[in-house]
Amino acid sequence: MDEPPRHSAVADSSTSEPILVPARIVNEFVYCPRLAYLEWVQQEWADSSDTVEGRHAHRRIEQARGDLPPPLAVSDEEKIHARSVTLSSQRLGLIATIDLIEGEGGMVTPVDYKRGKRPHVAQGAYDPERVQLCAQALLLEEHGYTCTEGVIYYAGSRERVRVQFDDALRELTRNAVAGLRALAESGQIPPPLEDSPKCPRCSLVGICLPDEVNLLRGSNAEVRPLAVAHDHALPLYIQSHNAKVRKNGELLEIYEEDETVHTVRLGDLSQVVLMGNVSLTAPTLHELMARGIPVSWHSYGGWFLGHTIGTGHKNVELRTAQYRASFDPATCLRLAKGFVSAKIRNQRTLLRRNWKRADDPEGVLNLFESDLRRALAAESLESLLGAEGQAAARYFANFSAMLRQEDRAGWHFDFQKRNRRPPTDPVNALLSFAYTLLVRTWTVTLSSVGFDPYRGFYHQPRYGRPALALDMMEPFRPLLADSSVIQAINNGEVRGSDFIRRAGAVSLTNEGRKSFIAAFERRLGQEVTHPVFGYRVSYRRLLELQARLFARYLLGEIPEYPNFTTR
Amino acid sequence: MNEEHLYIVCYDIRDPRRWRRVFRKLCGYGEWLQLSVFQCRLNRVRRAELSAALDSLIHHDADHVIILDLGPADKVSPKISSLGKPVEPIQRKPIVI
Ligand code: SF4
Repeated sequence: MDEPPRHSAVADSSTSEPILVPARIVNEFVYCPRLAYLEWVQQEWADSSDTVEGRHAHRRIEQARGDLPPPLAVSDEEKIHARSVTLSSQRLGLIATIDLIEGEGGMVTPVDYKRGKRPHVAQGAYDPERVQLCAQALLLEEHGYTCTEGVIYYAGSRERVRVQFDDALRELTRNAVAGLRALAESGQIPPPLEDSPKCPRCSLVGICLPDEVNLLRGSNAEVRPLAVAHDHALPLYIQSHNAKVRKNGELLEIYEEDETVHTVRLGDLSQVVLMGNVSLTAPTLHELMARGIPVSWHSYGGWFLGHTIGTGHKNVELRTAQYRASFDPATCLRLAKGFVSAKIRNQRTLLRRNWKRADDPEGVLNLFESDLRRALAAESLESLLGAEGQAAARYFANFSAMLRQEDRAGWHFDFQKRNRRPPTDPVNALLSFAYTLLVRTWTVTLSSVGFDPYRGFYHQPRYGRPALALDMMEPFRPLLADSSVIQAINNGEVRGSDFIRRAGAVSLTNEGRKSFIAAFERRLGQEVTHPVFGYRVSYRRLLELQARLFARYLLGEIPEYPNFTTR
Repeated sequence: MNEEHLYIVCYDIRDPRRWRRVFRKLCGYGEWLQLSVFQCRLNRVRRAELSAALDSLIHHDADHVIILDLGPADKVSPKISSLGKPVEPIQRKPIVI
């Protein structure tokens, strides 16, 4: 018998048969309707320690299986013991894989394995679990068996809890199935629970953002820092010439000329960034795709060529909302104004914070007010572009005020104005490289959240340009890219010897790039206080948070996308 | 909430083939310290994954694994006396090669 796919929300498209609801999702619907919607309709998934333990508790049961005899053959004497049996019913609109079916004396008993210990509640088990078991019982009855009670086996405490399928529980179960089906058909995600103790335990809390969404919808409850995970998985950059990467068990080995120069634990990786002539074996690429670790490919100079991400994200609802909004000029303009004005604010803040010149910055800083006003009043993308350009010219004209005049070796970093393609001085070379790293980071973040990074609102689509990544990064250019450049120069992490000058163009050496990537990634790891939610969060996690909030905006859950600005 | 802890994992495995498998699995979770001892830095999810992985590799009647929790990785400085080579707690940072 074929297993149904683990996350299948859609019926076979070749038939018009109604969609079957998995009993597992009915359980989640009773726990929290929003959770069921996220997981089933939007196909979101994230592991928590609970889900990992849950899978482990089921692992043994899924290995062996006995036979479930047809109902009439269930005799009074013979004992039944059938494992991992999948049953479905069009009439009930349900499908379930039952861990274990025991039978004796003409009756069958479904047994469901749960991780953890038996809860000490009046009914022996929580409602979501009782309902899931009862849904299995309804399926067994539909197939002609007699079934009056079931068992939940708690692997943690090795206890069996009996559940009676009385009228009240049957009613609860039928209503839950009907409720879930109606919810899926409505296409409307339910709002998050308010200040619920369920959320801290919920595996999708970092995707759902219950407290953040509630706050932005006008709730007064305090925002708990539930979505603020620590960075456990981190990127691996390989730019070393002729390096090769292969997989060895749980490790990635990077080797040059048959000598292993580095090993990295696969479980610690968030993404792999390859620059230039680095090769990867096919089994390695398969493993990275299977683990959902994106690989981004770059030219030697850092130019972003593309990325490999397995089958991609399944949240079609989000991409549809993204496209729809992008066709509406008013929405495009509104969003573009938000991106640009946040960027101008952050440029001004960066100047204020890092001003090193002897003169008073106030005069310069005040001038940004007029750029901001002009941006907010813009009536077209063109006039917005004008306001942005004016602010950028002002900002870069004063950029050198943030640089230390001489590094320890007496090297002088000169900066007159922004230029690119090719950059003609070291500061411009660093800025260009920093923007490349930032676009890459945003592109990977946006795809992992389910967006199409190539369709934007401010930046119009053009061949090969990740327009949405460029949009979202606007406010972060000063905060992440420019500030890494300033840090790297002022701390003496890059020096004159890290650049090569050829035919008027300046580029970074291998070593220079390596030091700068380290400075940029260190900046991503730094924490800031979120101006809206009040908790501290690393920039790395902040980018994902902002991307998810943007999704919540496009899906109509929050009235505005809150751009990130810092004080 | 979901911060990383530092763990010491020690194991006693009867069969050399299983020992090898446990060793290789642990390489994906931490650093090898000594013959059958690893140092790992894990959050709750990774900790659960490790338990599940080891639990399915070992034979419960013959082998034995202990996992010692030394506390939050960024806050504790474990008091380890080490003669010979020093023991450095695992740091977490991006890798640039
Ligand atoms: S975080 Fe809370 S509101 Fe969101 S899906 Fe989970 S339980 Fe529901």
